[in-house]
Amino acid sequence: METNPHIASQLYTNAQNIARPEGPQSSGSTLFADMANDFMATMQAGESAAIAGLTGKADAQTVVEALAASEIAIQTAVSVRDRVVEAYQEILRMPV
Amino acid sequence: MSDLSSSMSTSASGMAAQAARLRLVSENIANADTPGFQRKVMSFEAVSDMFENGGRVQTGPVQLSSAERPQVFDPGHPMADENGYYQGSNVDLMIEIADAREAQRSYEANLKMFDQSRQMTSSILELLRR
Repeated sequence: METNPHIASQLYTNAQNIARPEGPQSSGSTLFADMANDFMATMQAGESAAIAGLTGKADAQTVVEALAASEIAIQTAVSVRDRVVEAYQEILRMPV
Repeated sequence: MSDLSSSMSTSASGMAAQAARLRLVSENIANADTPGFQRKVMSFEAVSDMFENGGRVQTGPVQLSSAERPQVFDPGHPMADENGYYQGSNVDLMIEIADAREAQRSYEANLKMFDQSRQMTSSILELLRR
């Protein structure tokens, strides 16, 4: 089978362009900082709603909504942390 | 805000609206025998902000029902006029109880929706854990 190296390299370049993510790139550390800030805000909203509920200043559905939101935020954070730690361990176990 | 969490907050707004409605019903029932009391009614409105929290419900202003108040014959009543009549309240207990039951059913429906979106979020996070 006859192969043309020029065409092959062109196809390879095209494939690279497809695989490259589009849009403005934000660095991973900024994304993680945003995520952590969102998490903090959700947790603080949950805590203040719980305090307001216990002191009778908020109604039950507000407390339940805020607590469910913080529960989901905790689940997300814990799951992501577990996956990240697992990935690091996988890298550490890699034979060099 | 993701779709699931915004559906949770929409359901919470529905529950808050039904709770406010039930409060009005209990005020009406408590004042069913108060002379001259006008039944309180409240309308629900969709929140007009289409993008951030469209679809949420909020309660409108409380209005007094303009239904005619019955003239009750009780000459011994302190508020009775010279003919022995006084003005009763226009609260109909049948209507109030039906309204309360409707508020309860609607609250339960919103609660089910809240629980369902919470369960859906939890079960998609379960996928990350194995």
